[in-house]
Amino acid sequence: MTKIDNLKKERKDIAKTYSGKKIKDTYIDGVIKNFQDIQYVKIKDIIEETNDTKSFILVPDEDKGTRELASFRAGQYISLKMFIDGDYTTRAYSLSSAPNKINKGYRITIKRVPNGLVSNIMLDDMKIGDGLTISRPMGDFGYNKVRDEKNVIGIAGGSGITPFISLAYEVDAGLDDCNLTVFYSVKTEDDIIFKKEIEYFNKHCKKVKFVMTLTREEKPGYLKGHINKDMIEPYIKEFNTVLMCGPKALYKTMNEILGEFNIPRKCVHYENFMVDFLPIEEKTYELKVILKNDFKICECKSNETLLVAMEKAGIKAPSLCRVGICGYCRSVILDGKIKMIGGNMEKALAQNDYIHPCITYPESDVVLRLDI
Amino acid sequence: MIYDYIIIGAGLGGLSAGLNLVINKKKVLILEKNSLPGGLFSTFKKGRFEFDTSGYDIYNYGNLEHVGELQKLLNKYEIDIDTKVIPFNSRIKELSTKKEFELKGEFEDLILELGDSYPGVIEKLKELVKISKEIHEGVEKLLIDEIPGEEEYTNFYKYLDKNALDVLKEMKIPKEVINKLSIWWLDIGSPLNKLSFIDFMDFLEKLIFKKDVVLCNKNLDFIMKLVNKYQALGGKIYYNSEVINIINEDIKIVETKDGLQYKGKYIICDLAKRYVFKDLIKDEYKDVNKLENARTIGANGVVIYLGLNKSYEELGLNNYKYYQFVTLDSGTNIKYMNNLNHNTWIGYVPNVVNENASPKNTTILVLKQIYFDDVFKNQQAQDYETIRNDIADNLISQFEEAFMVDIKEYIEEISIATPFTIERITNSVNGSMYGYMKKGYDNSIHRIISYDDEEIAGISFVGASSLLGSGVDNTIYSGYSVTNRLLKEKE
Ligand SMILES: Cc1cc2nc3c(=O)[nH]c(=O)nc-3n(C[C@H](O)[C@H](O)[C@H](O)COP(=O)(O)OP(=O)(O)OC[C@H]3O[C@@H](n4cnc5c(N)ncnc54)[C@H](O)[C@@H]3O)c2cc1C
Ligand code: FES
Repeated sequence: MTKIDNLKKERKDIAKTYSGKKIKDTYIDGVIKNFQDIQYVKIKDIIEETNDTKSFILVPDEDKGTRELASFRAGQYISLKMFIDGDYTTRAYSLSSAPNKINKGYRITIKRVPNGLVSNIMLDDMKIGDGLTISRPMGDFGYNKVRDEKNVIGIAGGSGITPFISLAYEVDAGLDDCNLTVFYSVKTEDDIIFKKEIEYFNKHCKKVKFVMTLTREEKPGYLKGHINKDMIEPYIKEFNTVLMCGPKALYKTMNEILGEFNIPRKCVHYENFMVDFLPIEEKTYELKVILKNDFKICECKSNETLLVAMEKAGIKAPSLCRVGICGYCRSVILDGKIKMIGGNMEKALAQNDYIHPCITYPESDVVLRLDI
Repeated sequence: MIYDYIIIGAGLGGLSAGLNLVINKKKVLILEKNSLPGGLFSTFKKGRFEFDTSGYDIYNYGNLEHVGELQKLLNKYEIDIDTKVIPFNSRIKELSTKKEFELKGEFEDLILELGDSYPGVIEKLKELVKISKEIHEGVEKLLIDEIPGEEEYTNFYKYLDKNALDVLKEMKIPKEVINKLSIWWLDIGSPLNKLSFIDFMDFLEKLIFKKDVVLCNKNLDFIMKLVNKYQALGGKIYYNSEVINIINEDIKIVETKDGLQYKGKYIICDLAKRYVFKDLIKDEYKDVNKLENARTIGANGVVIYLGLNKSYEELGLNNYKYYQFVTLDSGTNIKYMNNLNHNTWIGYVPNVVNENASPKNTTILVLKQIYFDDVFKNQQAQDYETIRNDIADNLISQFEEAFMVDIKEYIEEISIATPFTIERITNSVNGSMYGYMKKGYDNSIHRIISYDDEEIAGISFVGASSLLGSGVDNTIYSGYSVTNRLLKEKE
């Protein structure tokens, strides 16, 4: 026998002494197997927050196989997966509940969007006991103890308050060692979401403070007008972290203000909450979608994203955030002219004709490759 | 439609296998679970930073003068990438002795330096270099299914069944010198008392003669080039196609999570055999189970990706690579790597060799801690977020203290990958970063010589868990070598 044969034999002999039973999972394998990308939940409660906003308490739907909810960090969102008249679509909502009280369920808080598809259905049609399908918690927005400073300034506009309530619970529970001051701007007192909770935090929690300002009315106990430099100044320390959540217009004015305080770019973080772009002209083009084993042809309008066009055509295109950040919708454009609004894409992908259909508008007929 | 080959996984191993097959005019389908190719070798963007997930040293590429195997292979594939040679530029700290040293320049410099401190060592190291060449050639022969001649390859046979540490000791190389030569054990994932001398010499040969490089562009750019070439030659690739079942009959049937089915004459997995026989093939293969139960899964770990808002010069990070060990003796050190916050780690500063690694006046720092135990087992799932951040916090503090730099105040972006992240993205068993651990009878040399005996009709394996182990060069080469054997068999 050659030396090589010997070595082979020794390897074989060792293997022989081991069990021939089915290979077992390691601990980590087991955790990953239980990991659910999709969670099935039931509406346990619906709370009327303001006349155009409701909160939904979501608990696991054990009948459908979800036994417990995935944990989350304050600031993360879930993506609702809905079938509406047979068409599939998604919407992202920040979690507004306490991350350490997951046994009480998730809370999402939805504000009505005029003519909005999902928000109106959620507000008008959903009842306690109804089932929903959601993604696991996603996103990076929030406080990060390694990255951030101890003095945290939050800037919230409208429904942008949701992640900050969750963050306030996190700070209150001692999970984050920081001082949080949230500036919250709404039109009128009646528009304030989570009024009771905010009062609770302001009274009982030393490390959390909400400063509210009304833009359309004057009332005692509130500041008046849009968030401005003078309002924030007293709360600025030597080192600050600024977290912002709300409409793009808010970010723009805030960035100017923050510039005056010399807050470095690294200390300012935004949640991408919405995309605001509307081409003036309405034109209709043809969209051809190449699927794995099939293709579909549908209509797409110049003022509609490619994602929406696909959804309307009954194509179950993947998506989570719908603002160009998560990358979940990415697909390859094979032909046609498009306009992609913002987004955060790796250079190598952009160079290879990848796009995020959730923020892409057609400017001609388009051919798209989507691997579903 | 029946494909000639169905490849599961578009990691480096799978893409390389696919390319070699379409070059040989085969009908090939690659099924990839994620929406992007690349597997563990990828790129992600956060804020204004693009982080490469891995591949901070690409071995066996070389330059124009010293053409490494990887470069040769990519030339064959007609894949053109921009690379930069990395001269040694590491700073190493040994915690137990508080000693710190730098490794800079070329291997010859290292030899000369060691020669100065340890008289007589130069000759021994030169001898070692000679042996490494012979061993490397021997391994190459085995890979193309030739048996190295016993007379010609005396050293190869002499050391065939020895571990690296024993041989180095036998050669009377001073302990301190062995220690300095062994810092790369962390890159290989096995300490010198477990690593076969053949594997170690093969690695050293690459290190000395085929300079390692970094990519000038990001990993995804390289991956896209592989995919584009593969598609241009008629190869098909489907994303969002996680294989959940393989029916191993004459014509193989592969089922994906979305309910689709594909048929192929042959299957190539860019996956660990362990995973495939545990989760994808329902039939029991006793011999496979035995072998798999005998093997050790490679180490997993945590990787922290930091985007810093200052240049590396301003931060004082002037080395490409930073290591901290408790002790340079690898066999002892590994015993300390069994808890969440241990003291052995590697740091990379890609900007030091590649000024385009991140935007002007910013720096990327990647810190990696490897675990040789089930360190997550006793942790509660709900504490996961806190644990992750605590590990990062601790690791950064350790780094700051070891090399007297300030990092924390400059962190603009942070991302933390744990074994859970890695397994969720790639299905790598136990979140392993190294495939299987090279140890005992499971070093590359053993996998290569037993390859034919252990083959299962119709299913082959490439990638980090196959023949050569982890690493960009190894995984790409495995895809080539395995498909070449298959093509030959078919003739
Ligand atoms: C942190 C880190 C640092 C590293 N540093 C270096 C370095 O400096 N130098 C170096 O050379 N190497 C390095 N490596 C190693 C190197 O990157 C890897 O060894 C190599 O990329 C692995 O390639 P692979 O072919 O094994 O495939 P993988 O990357 O494991 O890919 C397997 C593919 O299969 C897919 N898949 C899994 N299950 C299924 C299924 N059921 N159906 C369909 N598809 C599936 C996965 O999504 C994945 O794309 C490093 C690795 C890590 C993690
Ligand atoms: S859905 Fe998140 S990027 Fe398009």
